[in-house]
Amino acid sequence: MNRSKAEEAYILNPETWVDRYGDYLYRFALSRVKDPGVAEDLVQETFLAALRGLQNFKQRSSGHTWLTAILKHKIVDFLRKKHREQVIEDIETVSESTDGFFKNSGSWRIRPAKWDINPAKIFEQQEFMDVLLKCLAQLPERLARAFMLREMEGLSTEEICKSMQISATNSWVMLYRARTYLRRCLEINWFDKPTGEVE
Amino acid sequence: MIEHWMFNCKEVSLKVSESLDRRLPLFQRLMIRMHLMMCRYCARFHRQILLIRELVRYTQPMENTFNKSGTLPPDARARLKQTLKSASAGS
Repeated sequence: MNRSKAEEAYILNPETWVDRYGDYLYRFALSRVKDPGVAEDLVQETFLAALRGLQNFKQRSSGHTWLTAILKHKIVDFLRKKHREQVIEDIETVSESTDGFFKNSGSWRIRPAKWDINPAKIFEQQEFMDVLLKCLAQLPERLARAFMLREMEGLSTEEICKSMQISATNSWVMLYRARTYLRRCLEINWFDKPTGEVE
Repeated sequence: MIEHWMFNCKEVSLKVSESLDRRLPLFQRLMIRMHLMMCRYCARFHRQILLIRELVRYTQPMENTFNKSGTLPPDARARLKQTLKSASAGS
């Protein structure tokens, strides 16, 4: 990994974190939760979780990437709690379970729609990340966790199995469910294809 | 008998996802490749979950991906430092 010595020195010295990463994490949190008090709490929880997990921080990623990954978990947890108490208005609830995508015969019931990928839109990353985090917040907690460990933190499935105490087969199924759900949620909320593709 | 050897869309979608997490056995890879050549919906599913992976990775932290305005207010900064200090001392 091409992590600089300086970066490593920062991350191993928690006293430098607020000055080094504070503004960045705060902006990231604030842009998602829109509430300065909540954003501050999330940054604090992130730092505390990082402190507890410091020995797990291997040469895997930069300090920014690592701390942001933790912050995303915290944001998704926050959104999940918030949405549990509120009616979700900005996102349609997707009720279909993974099985619901298929007919009994195993062929598609809700077919993946063609996504019109607009190069300009795809770079609206703020918007994409907002929708993605909202979709993740709708997933059962463990599915979201497995997905984030795999795709955001880049853990191998072996590491996920160890961390979540599940079997390999279980991890593949969980990641499959998470991807299937997210694919559909993004199709509805980002690609504007609420019906999927019909015959 | 032929059907018994063929994956249906539901099975293929699971295997396609699994292929993002581990290397599948040769036979399964061949079966999936054949299915994807014939089935545009599974092919789409495959492309789209790969796209999601790329997007998720691509939208990893980059300083310019969100609004630059907003820095930690001084009092929040002080509180965070205090919290970290006492948490580090306690550990």
